[in-house]
Amino acid sequence: MLFLPLLIPWLAAIPLVLLDGRRKGVAWLAVGALAAHLAALAVLAVRVFAAGPQEAVTGEWPPGVGIVVRADALGMVFALLSSGVLLAALVHETVAGIEGRRFPAFVVFMAAGLTGLFLARDVFNFYVFFEVAMISAYALSTYGGQAREAGAAFVFAVVNLLGSFLFLLAVAGIYHQTGTLAMDGVTTGLATAAPNAALLIAVLVLVAFSVKLGLFPFHPWLPAVYIGARPAVAAILAGALANIGSYGVLRFGADVLPAQLRAGSVALVVLGSASIVYGAVQAIGRREAAEVLAYSTIGQVGYVFVAVGIGGAVGLAAAVLYAVVNGLNKALLFLSIDLRGWLVGAAFAVGAFSVVGVPPAAGFLGKVAMFQAGVEIGSVALVALIFLGGALSFLYMFQLYQSDFWAGTREVGRSAPRTRVVALALAVLVLGLGAWPEPLLAVSRDAAAALEGTRP
Amino acid sequence: MEPQTRTEPDERAPFVVSDSAARRRDGAGAEAGPLGPFPPAAALAATLAALAFAAILYAWLRGGGSIDLPWAPTLGLRLHFRLDALGALYALLATGIGAAVFLYSGRYLRLHLASDGRPARDERSFYAFMLLFAVSMVGLATAQDLLLLFVFWDLTAIASYFLIGFDRHETASWSGALMALLVTGITAVALLVGSVILFVAHGTFSLPEIIAHARPGTTLTVAAALIAVAGLAKSAQVPFHFWLPNAMVAPTPVSAYLHSAAMVAAGVLLIGRTYPLLAQSQLVLDGMLVVGLASMLTGGLIALTRERLKQVLAYSTVAQYGYMVALYGLGGAAGAVGGAFFVAAHALAKSALFMVSGAVTQASDGEERLGRLGGRWRTMPIVAVAGALAAAALAGLPLTVGFFKDELLFKAALKRGPLVTALVAAGPVLTLAYIGRFWGRIFLGRPRQAPTGPGSPPATLVAPIAVLALLSLAFGLWIAPLESLAGAVGSVSLAGKPAGISLAYYLDARATNLIALGVYALGGLLLATYRHWLPVAQGFARVALRFGPERAYVSSLRQANRLSSALHRVEVRDLRRRVAWVLVPCGVLVAAGLLATPTVGQYAIGKLGVGDAPLAILLALAAAAALAATVPRSQLVLVLVLSASGYSLAAVFALFGAPDVALVAVLVETLFALLFVAVFSLLPDDVLRREQSLSVSHSRRWRDPLVGVVSGFFALAVVWGTLSSPVPSDRRVAERLIDLAPAAHGKDVVTAILSDFRALDTLAEVTVLVIALAGVAGALTRRRSR
Repeated sequence: MLFLPLLIPWLAAIPLVLLDGRRKGVAWLAVGALAAHLAALAVLAVRVFAAGPQEAVTGEWPPGVGIVVRADALGMVFALLSSGVLLAALVHETVAGIEGRRFPAFVVFMAAGLTGLFLARDVFNFYVFFEVAMISAYALSTYGGQAREAGAAFVFAVVNLLGSFLFLLAVAGIYHQTGTLAMDGVTTGLATAAPNAALLIAVLVLVAFSVKLGLFPFHPWLPAVYIGARPAVAAILAGALANIGSYGVLRFGADVLPAQLRAGSVALVVLGSASIVYGAVQAIGRREAAEVLAYSTIGQVGYVFVAVGIGGAVGLAAAVLYAVVNGLNKALLFLSIDLRGWLVGAAFAVGAFSVVGVPPAAGFLGKVAMFQAGVEIGSVALVALIFLGGALSFLYMFQLYQSDFWAGTREVGRSAPRTRVVALALAVLVLGLGAWPEPLLAVSRDAAAALEGTRP
Repeated sequence: MEPQTRTEPDERAPFVVSDSAARRRDGAGAEAGPLGPFPPAAALAATLAALAFAAILYAWLRGGGSIDLPWAPTLGLRLHFRLDALGALYALLATGIGAAVFLYSGRYLRLHLASDGRPARDERSFYAFMLLFAVSMVGLATAQDLLLLFVFWDLTAIASYFLIGFDRHETASWSGALMALLVTGITAVALLVGSVILFVAHGTFSLPEIIAHARPGTTLTVAAALIAVAGLAKSAQVPFHFWLPNAMVAPTPVSAYLHSAAMVAAGVLLIGRTYPLLAQSQLVLDGMLVVGLASMLTGGLIALTRERLKQVLAYSTVAQYGYMVALYGLGGAAGAVGGAFFVAAHALAKSALFMVSGAVTQASDGEERLGRLGGRWRTMPIVAVAGALAAAALAGLPLTVGFFKDELLFKAALKRGPLVTALVAAGPVLTLAYIGRFWGRIFLGRPRQAPTGPGSPPATLVAPIAVLALLSLAFGLWIAPLESLAGAVGSVSLAGKPAGISLAYYLDARATNLIALGVYALGGLLLATYRHWLPVAQGFARVALRFGPERAYVSSLRQANRLSSALHRVEVRDLRRRVAWVLVPCGVLVAAGLLATPTVGQYAIGKLGVGDAPLAILLALAAAAALAATVPRSQLVLVLVLSASGYSLAAVFALFGAPDVALVAVLVETLFALLFVAVFSLLPDDVLRREQSLSVSHSRRWRDPLVGVVSGFFALAVVWGTLSSPVPSDRRVAERLIDLAPAAHGKDVVTAILSDFRALDTLAEVTVLVIALAGVAGALTRRRSR
């Protein structure tokens, strides 16, 4: 049961990579595989939320010898979000007509990689699945096959390989310092390690995930890639792949390296704040939708960092909530980029309201959680910063919305009604999650409670 | 290879219109098509609103009632609505005036659309957002939970945004909509922050519970001030008032509904609802009084100078809500009751006046300048009379409902001494003058431009005006129902204390009567000598518009766009610097980490013996090769130098007990060298030569070594700090792996690890290879097929 959500896409992707994904039948097969995977994930998630974490060790060896695999609330939240976004992007492309032979296979491979990563409780196993997801992402970013996409893919691969290398260095350091790769052992192992070594490992982990998230100042790869890649791929990168960064910071920061997180929380808050302001200011002057959304993403991930830096039950829950909402927003907005029509305008408006935090779009829950975290620690500066970031996002989102949908620059794009289905469904989901906030609030609270950092 | 982010020459802030002359004319031309049957959408909307009005009235008369459902237990949120007096007042206004405006919209909107050459089906979104607004307003009026209140608060802003932007072809409506959204949307966040502060302090968003627990203090003052800011911005108070005149680009029914009677009233509603909290801080009350008075005078003075009908009314709205805010700021029973009473009185009069302006414009070929109208009482006598009643109510003349609103104002002000009373009395003087001018210029005198429109407006345009105007008169004559409702609303705002205010006409020389008489006299004088005062008012208006907050808004939008463009010009766009932007900050963070932790004994160099010589030599070789790699221009030499570095490291492994790693390293180095050579042989010669002869820019000449040094430093620090120190072996899992290898049927521990203990990793790595192969194959086949 624990391995089923991992095995379904992994096994399904292997035949898919041999088939021609441009054929409708093949594409729908991939959609079916992803849907089955999502269903298995949902069943597992229900069990986790009802009965607590589910654990297994490969080969039934003692933990540490075999690889520990454990599904907990945090992993399930991010797995559901990522796979949901992958499914949405795949259906979107399938309906519109897939142009790349192996596009469906890579999407399904990425689902396997991400699921493995969210289940992994072993540092090296995490890295391996991280690579599965990343290599699928590199392959996906060439989708479209033009020079523009190839250029984006090159930048993406070079910078992110560097990030992966930094993470690998951290894994090596962890193993050397603690003698184990199992996450549970790492926390206790590092407690007795030299504080300097432990902190440097934490710095590497932080940088690696900042690169994945595209946090300022590690961001310069991100706009090029989000603009150069196809909208569906940009949606995957922003809504699914970037979760590695948010999840990684939460898992490694608040669960594996909680002492180091406490020591470096100021750095997280400073980096996050810089990213919020930088991304928002850059986004204001951009006129192309993909550009605005790319810089908006840089700004929005800053909130996740700030929330993790604030920490505690409220801060970590805010980080989870914000990451989930931001993933959904960006998936919705990117998937609507190459469409037009008034319904698309409505869906885009829902996404825009969600980004700025206007109810009933789900984004306002993220804002509530952020303000709650800021007020809880009594920081006027942070509350002001979150306020400022929100104000700037109002400006860039609605300048973009008006120029695209009112001033009518959005004349090109797909107009067939069926291509709008996914964007509309996501818009309804975003509205629904905002109007009935209990699931998101409860799930993010549980996810944060799974972390070591929330324990006193 | 590099995708260049498109740079925008356009640095102007889009959707900014600072020139008020660019405001589009409102209303429709006379070339409107034939009147068809009454639009069903309008009929449906009006019926729904009327039914809702009746239902709310019935429920209120039956003693109110409440709905309380769980919403989000995690935060203790409840869908808690209660039809108390405050809720009933605003819900009745929203639905009642809504019904009148929907009736009015039926014909008006058709004519409006026809004059813009738009199809009638465009009206659907209009009614959808108007209904959304009406529902949100009822929700807002009855919500008892601060977060629920915030949801409806923003829903009204959303409806307002789309309705202001209803005329999509007009650039002025883009900027007006954006301005209204930014001002009311961003200040709404202040309401959210205030609510969250109260939540953190009291553990609940439930307003009744917070009111029961709140005690004066800094926390409460801050929260109350934030909530008040949101309310003031929504009610178009100085310095946020400028969005309202710009929102007049919306079709007139929208102005008559949202931007006079309902959405703007939401700010005062919020103040009335949270008044038990606000009133605990004298600072907040004084702030509201100052803002109210400032808005009253600013709005009144500018309204005197405006030429366009709706602009006069918009600034009048700013001024009138200034009265209400000032009333709440004055405090006490008179303030709380007066604020509520004022809302109702103003809503009836102002909606009617907006609809008058729409009807007049409609009947005059779209003309909306006071200077070009005149003598309209001949062609539209009913509108003229109804307009006169509404104007009288606004000006607070006796026998209209307006008389009592001013009486309450004076009563509350008298408690604060003569200065406040004098300032407060200045408002009604201005009101009398500008509304007198407004009405007189439209209806009296000779027609300054012959009416070319269809003459008398259709009955469905006139009827709603007449009804609202008659209500203004009726409540002036029979004050009891409104008096008791406003009294009950006041007691909600006073946290349950009875307000004890009674209203009636007293024909004696009491202070309020004397002030009223003085106001009429001064107002009449001002109206009569209007021409002499005009330059003063115009000067004030010019200064206010030139240096006022609207200017600040426009220039801050411009500056934000300019700053963004400037920042974008220095944004990194080439691969080399993108890599540097990962390495350098990483180096800075590592340095910060080194400074933050004790490093004593961590970076000590041990003794170097003779036995270490081979190691030292090999490492020096590797380092020398790495340094040498910066020199050659030829690609082939570069690859060979890099391999030299790699082979030296492989030799290190071979010498220090890891022959298998050394083998792998040699294999990899060889493969890569061959691969590079193969690629170079495939590339055209001139490409290679061109790359070799590229000159290195000046900035790169110092930047590249710097980046290299920084990244070398942090890599050294990290590797030295984390990987070189000996770690006690007792807790290593490696020993257990060696012990367990036989149980995994592995001949050696590496095999056991790869194929059993960590087989999942191996499988995943194989998958990585499969994906990489598929990706490369895809890239190659695409290339071939091109």
